[in-house]
Amino acid sequence: MTSLVNQQPHSEAIGYSFSQSTHAPNKQHSFYPYTDNGGSTLGITGADFAILAGDTRSVAGYNINSRYAPKVFKIGGDDETGEGAHILLSVVGFAADGHALKERLDAVVKMYKYQHGKPMSVRACAQRLSTILYQKRFFPYYVHAILAGLDEEGTGALYSYDPVGSYEREQCRAAGSAASLIMPFLDNQVNFKNQYIPGSGEGHALEPKKAGPLPRSTVEQLVRDAFTSAVERHIEVGDGLQMMVITANGIEEIYTPLKQD
Amino acid sequence: MTQHRAALRLRLASSSSRHSSSTRPVTLFLPSSSSSSSPSSPLHLSAKRIIDYVLLGITGKDFVLMAASKAAMRGPTILKAEDDKTRQLNKHNLMIYSGEAGDTVQFAEYINANISLYSMRNDSELRPEAVANFVRSELARSLRSRNAYSVNLLLGGVDPISEKPHLYWMDYLASLAPVPYAAHGYAQYYCLSTLDKHHHPDITLEQGLKLLTMCTDELKRRLPIDYKGVLVKVVTKDGVKVLDFDNDRIVKSA
Amino acid sequence: MSSPFDINGGACVAMVGKDCVAIACDLRLGMQALTVSNNFPKLFNFGPSTFLGLTGLATDVSTVSDLFRYKVNMYRLREERNIAPQTLANLVSSSLYEKRFGPFFVSPVVAGVNYTTGKPFICGFDSIGCIDFAKDFIVSGTASEQLFGTCEGLWEPDMSPDDLFETISQALLSAVDRDALSGWGAQVYIIEKDKVTKRLLKGRQD
Repeated sequence: MTSLVNQQPHSEAIGYSFSQSTHAPNKQHSFYPYTDNGGSTLGITGADFAILAGDTRSVAGYNINSRYAPKVFKIGGDDETGEGAHILLSVVGFAADGHALKERLDAVVKMYKYQHGKPMSVRACAQRLSTILYQKRFFPYYVHAILAGLDEEGTGALYSYDPVGSYEREQCRAAGSAASLIMPFLDNQVNFKNQYIPGSGEGHALEPKKAGPLPRSTVEQLVRDAFTSAVERHIEVGDGLQMMVITANGIEEIYTPLKQD
Repeated sequence: MTQHRAALRLRLASSSSRHSSSTRPVTLFLPSSSSSSSPSSPLHLSAKRIIDYVLLGITGKDFVLMAASKAAMRGPTILKAEDDKTRQLNKHNLMIYSGEAGDTVQFAEYINANISLYSMRNDSELRPEAVANFVRSELARSLRSRNAYSVNLLLGGVDPISEKPHLYWMDYLASLAPVPYAAHGYAQYYCLSTLDKHHHPDITLEQGLKLLTMCTDELKRRLPIDYKGVLVKVVTKDGVKVLDFDNDRIVKSA
Repeated sequence: MSSPFDINGGACVAMVGKDCVAIACDLRLGMQALTVSNNFPKLFNFGPSTFLGLTGLATDVSTVSDLFRYKVNMYRLREERNIAPQTLANLVSSSLYEKRFGPFFVSPVVAGVNYTTGKPFICGFDSIGCIDFAKDFIVSGTASEQLFGTCEGLWEPDMSPDDLFETISQALLSAVDRDALSGWGAQVYIIEKDKVTKRLLKGRQD
């Protein structure tokens, strides 16, 4: 819920009644158009697949609005079920903006297919999403978006965005309220940061362990571990884990329950 | 941990009547416990009116070079061009300082007197580490008093037994760090990168002076204010000496 | 005006293994974004197998460590024995609560192996001495969120001293690399009943 009145933060100062003016203060009414709905998303790519995952809890402050509010969507499907889609989008932050953004991108990708008679490439969709976000530069969609699919060569592609459209193709990315918990774990376990090959050199001149595409089973397990870890330590993350795996055979959706506390 | 921290409810008492001028310090004011006889302890986390002077310190093989700018300023006005912001604490220890106008000399005098007293009473001198920790404890004590000293310091000394140089960096919060080279004020932003690149623990005094010249050249090139040159002193096992330093070198701006 | 806990930066983590504990910290000392020193350890030894880690405002890290050096030395003289980690934990708690309305801006961590029972012990505190007993790990400092993520992901029960060293090191290094205010090298102590191993980690220098 968005707040209609900006509340003054509670003042701790010692106040005497006579120090306040007797007539009613000029109340500033304002409308804050954003809410943080919490939650976290995560994407990892492989040689011939990409995984996009998100928890399904939606919060407002300390309240849980929903235990099943998906954050990962199929983009450009043929019908309501998203059948035939070849692009995934995850949005985390302000859920209403996320929903609006998903609807817009979905329409854009569908229109592209009608007008050009071929599906939109992930690269083109990524650029288009950036443009959509930047068009609202001074009233942004308050979301951290991640786009996933397969590129022209059939390898996993992942693009991450800031709320105003800066984007980058990456191997893995965590977003949302538990991003700071998940991201360093991913650096270590996906990109092998701070890992060296034992006995490959003298002292500090060790050879760093090279990062390469990981097999799907490993990646799925990493995603589960990342989320079960985040659930333990972040109150806004929990209830359910929605994983979407995109391969040449299409999109597979896997739902597993997470702790509800 | 964050929840507990939030529960502390630190009050920002910036409207305290003591500071009515425009430069309002942000003070974390914490009300005292009711039964305690000690006064409430405000912790001054932003300096009242710290004036940025140039303070530099460089250690080498067997010496510590210390340089302090010679300008005494108040706002944009230079009140004095031959100010001495150094204080010799004992035979092998030198302190250079900057900060709020009154506090600097007051604090330096106080430290100076106490370290002299120690030397006289015990007929021996405090080693650099001991000096640094004494100064730190005094500044830390003052930090939680009603009016804290706003003084930034560099402490340079040579251990008369091991003959090894020591340099300590300390800010007005009494954060103490042993360092191979140090700067305070704007000099930090202009000189530390130069020192990072060119400093080596085994340098001779000659190389040290060359390094210092590189730093002052950079300050002349990039600092918009004239700090009226630096007063350069060196601490060795033989004591503290003033060095001739060419402050009139013309440095063309880049 | 930033929080006093975030001015100087720094991170600390402690972990439990099988009959051993590990405690590690980074080495940075900064003033906001400027790094002043890359040799500012935040771990302090208070007995053969008892350590205290302190993150937060650097001046208070020094003040508090000096204070406990005094208190623990007095304890040792009076009792003619070393302080147990559990006892140190209670000493830290009561000493911090003494300053309830004008606290030291530190987040301490205690780690050690009890010399009579041989059992590993870790705990953490808030700045006014509320103890957080944990069976697995304790984190503190500006990289605490990142440390929660890495520790929760990497830690497992009953690790050997070598595994514990690898785990705590990877957890700390990966965490501080995602925090601009911590890093610049690290220090790790692996504490067993009658052996303490100290290791220095290089880490990224940015």
